[in-house]
Amino acid sequence: MAIAKEPLPPPGWGLESIASVLEAFPRGQLSEIVGPRSAGSSSLLTALLARATAAGDLVALVDGPDAFDPAGAAAAGAELRSLCWVRGGGRLDAACRAAELLARCGGFAWVALDLAADLTGPARTPPTFAPATWIRLQRAVRDTPTRLIVHASRHLAGSAAALVLAVERGPARWMGSPRPRRLDGLGSRVRVLRARPPAPIGGGSGTEWVVAWRL
Amino acid sequence: MAALRRLGCLLVPGFAAAAAVRAEPALAGQPLVVLDEARPGRRVLETDGTARALGIVPGMTEAAALARPGGVICRERVAAHEAAAQAALLEVALAHSPRVEEGGPGEVYLDAAGLGALFGDEAALARRLAAATAAAGLPARVGIAGSRVAAHLAARWGAGAERVPPEGDAAYLAPAPLGLLGLPVEMARRLERWGLRTLGELAALPARELFERLGAEGPRFQALARGEDPRPLLPWRPPRRFEETRELDWAADNLEPLFALFAELADRVCARLEGEALAADLFEWSCRVAAARGPGREVRGSFVPPVPTREAGAVMAVLRATLAATPPTGAVTALTLRAQPVRMLAAQEPLTGEPRPSPRALAETIARVIGLVGAGNLGVPVLLDTHRPDAIRLEPLNVRAQVLAHVSSPPGGGRGPGEGGVLTLRRLRPPRPAQVRLVGGRPVHLRSDGLAGAVVASAGPWRVSGEWWLESRWGADEWDVELTDGTLGRLAHDGSAWVLEGVYD
Repeated sequence: MAIAKEPLPPPGWGLESIASVLEAFPRGQLSEIVGPRSAGSSSLLTALLARATAAGDLVALVDGPDAFDPAGAAAAGAELRSLCWVRGGGRLDAACRAAELLARCGGFAWVALDLAADLTGPARTPPTFAPATWIRLQRAVRDTPTRLIVHASRHLAGSAAALVLAVERGPARWMGSPRPRRLDGLGSRVRVLRARPPAPIGGGSGTEWVVAWRL
Repeated sequence: MAALRRLGCLLVPGFAAAAAVRAEPALAGQPLVVLDEARPGRRVLETDGTARALGIVPGMTEAAALARPGGVICRERVAAHEAAAQAALLEVALAHSPRVEEGGPGEVYLDAAGLGALFGDEAALARRLAAATAAAGLPARVGIAGSRVAAHLAARWGAGAERVPPEGDAAYLAPAPLGLLGLPVEMARRLERWGLRTLGELAALPARELFERLGAEGPRFQALARGEDPRPLLPWRPPRRFEETRELDWAADNLEPLFALFAELADRVCARLEGEALAADLFEWSCRVAAARGPGREVRGSFVPPVPTREAGAVMAVLRATLAATPPTGAVTALTLRAQPVRMLAAQEPLTGEPRPSPRALAETIARVIGLVGAGNLGVPVLLDTHRPDAIRLEPLNVRAQVLAHVSSPPGGGRGPGEGGVLTLRRLRPPRPAQVRLVGGRPVHLRSDGLAGAVVASAGPWRVSGEWWLESRWGADEWDVELTDGTLGRLAHDGSAWVLEGVYD
């Protein structure tokens, strides 16, 4: 389906905008949502999963670091009955193989592979993956009706990804002044880092939105 | 000329009590009381004849029943005992007639026509049925008549093995008391005010006037009082067991021969399911592992396929992954595979929606993924009914249930994407220990595994607690914090130590 040419309203602010972002992820292709810690990329992924499961789609979430919060997803409107949660327990290589199998099966409308490392400060080194990983994932999902989304802290899949959305951190919003009383939410900037032709989003690379997430 | 309709009824009065005595024969002849489920103030559900003679009636409290003299014995109702007793009653009926109907707990009907050549006349058949049920441990009463209701009433009202002459149902029932019919209280009172005492008196009333005074229920009970019940017998079929077993002359001590043997069993079970146009939504397997002495021990397991299936390949894919993950420890001397059958529902693929997966492909994929991550790490998340943080459990993926649930109850709840995006917490499992420096009771610096920095904003404490009435009580003070690098986290202090529960993203 063609996406409107004019800049989209921020995803998360309206039903239509989230639906448009959903349509932006191409079937039978590998896409990426990337962003550093606390940028809002997990919130974007959760919003997509919520929208897909609420529409009755069968969704698989391969949760490499075992960080998924089902209660938060339910609060975002996710229909948990339609969600197959695969807990990787930190074994990211096993998570990649599981996502490959699920994508190849073709039985899931969406397969999300979460590889985001939450706490990778100076004491920890970020995980590394063989370049062939992304080619295998891309080939696994090809010719299937499945949308495969990799969620990571940084762009990993290289040219294997048809669409890459980069989420950048915006200011956190606190309620109460001068002393904060409650965390109200977070602002994010979502930018199209890569959109392989045909561009699934009007405007192609460089298109961006400002997104607000509320706690 | 139509064949004469003859039906028999096997009736076990006080079925729950009879089932308890059957399971525990030492209770026979003692004043027995069967209680409903275990809870404070529970009540008497049923009694046997001895307890009834002591004045104990259903509905009494347990305390009131125990207060009666006579050494009353109380037993809780056990569903398994009742199921076994019901199966025994059905087996007795099936041993005498090919057409049997299950009327309810302790109540079975059978087609008694044309059995003369096998068992003699009907009186002999009734005696034989009574003797057979007694031998099965159940004190059944037997009635044979021309209709179901007449046979039932004859069993209740008769001498224990009663036979009503052909075409004589109404005449036989005429002197029976009205109370046998189980009339609604209000109707029973009205009939009593009219001076009616027997079924014959009710049967003799003009139907039109009865309808005008009692409505449709009046003529219906009048027909029952005459023994008129035209409904045909609804044949009951014993549940099919889709189970295959293989005893080995040798002991299999590695997985490959087990896979081949289980594949044979899966082929047979699935072929039988296909023959009945059924599928299975649960497969149970067991292996008997040889022991140095004795018969050995059973290793059991089960799995739920994502969709009901009768494809041996899909079954074997899951079974292979399961056995490979947890192989039986020891040499196997026998294997069994059992399927729980369900009716296959024809599902039409939507024209515009997402295509549904092939059952076999999905089952095989799930099995392989389970082999990668472990059986306890794949499923549908279910939120538990508690406020305890991260209280969840995983249930097996069932695509059929997911489709039916979505059709029957469109999703709702949650803030939903239409009302604004929700900030998600990425949980750290288990929560990471943290060192938190406080100034004025508020966090000002955080150090944890892979994370450190000054706190530039914080909100809290938010008290969460629960189950204070249990040993497993829990509680913590939660804080939302923002570090200098922009990281948003959730801290918790349980009174003794700080932990980092997760990171907002």
